[in-house]
Amino acid sequence: MKKSYIIFLALLLIIAANTQGTAQKLITKTGNIKFQASMPSYEEVAAENKSVSAVLDQTTGDFASLVLIKGFRFKVALMEEHFNENYMESEKFPKATFKGKIEDFDSSKITSSPKNFTLKGDLTIHGKTRPVSVIVKISKVSNGLNAAGAFEAKPEDFDIEIPSLVRKKIADKIKINYNFLLIK
Amino acid sequence: MNRRKTIIATSIVLVIISAGIYFYYGVIFKEARNIASETPDFRITAKKLIEDYTADPKKADSLYLNKTIEITGKATKETDSAIVLENTVFCLFKEKLNTKMMDKKTTIKGKCIGYDELFLEVKIDQCSVK
Repeated sequence: MKKSYIIFLALLLIIAANTQGTAQKLITKTGNIKFQASMPSYEEVAAENKSVSAVLDQTTGDFASLVLIKGFRFKVALMEEHFNENYMESEKFPKATFKGKIEDFDSSKITSSPKNFTLKGDLTIHGKTRPVSVIVKISKVSNGLNAAGAFEAKPEDFDIEIPSLVRKKIADKIKINYNFLLIK
Repeated sequence: MNRRKTIIATSIVLVIISAGIYFYYGVIFKEARNIASETPDFRITAKKLIEDYTADPKKADSLYLNKTIEITGKATKETDSAIVLENTVFCLFKEKLNTKMMDKKTTIKGKCIGYDELFLEVKIDQCSVK
């Protein structure tokens, strides 16, 4: 009788510990990434993806994100086709990922006004991984955190070749904006 | 004789102009795909879709990626912009949802954009409820 009581107590503890463990993770499945590669006086080259996944561990500051390339939407169908087939080769490389850590992350210090943090990690696009360091603005929202920011990336850094014919129409540095509403 | 020549010339010019217009609007500035009006390439259950993806993601991608598919399954989670079928197929909608699908068997049509390894889910976007 006593033994079963101890087992029951142990089980309860394990369950409690587990729920505590998962509560530390904030997630989103509908994060937003926009990029801009337009050149002045040429057609707009821009796309948006509204189905980005991301996980943030509140205790350690570990951050991971995954974006499916086919989820990027352009205004013009032909541009979307070229983006997928010629540049990103999304049949071969269906996703881009980021794995890293927010430096000096302390969730207790975060308020409703955005605070800058440094996010360092490895960015993988087009099957090529590069270390990156970006500034991320984090603010508190009901039931979680909002992480947003912008950074630039060069296509050649990720082995994305842009034919000389369209080189003039696409910016050298592509501006990427992201916004994640991370909730429990 | 001369009249016939003009007729031929005008018709050639007309064909060239219409081909140009077709190329301009139909190819260069063609609107993005409208998934809701496309006929699906596959009609499958949510369980079969996730089975295929867990068994061999590469093969499943070659089958389903970028295709319009119709998925049937029980809605296990519902937010204002998404429905999750059988805990494993994440369906994102363009408009805000106001249907009550929770725990009901539903069929959703959308474009398969791939497998999300972070949450072990298949993602479908531009969804509409059948």
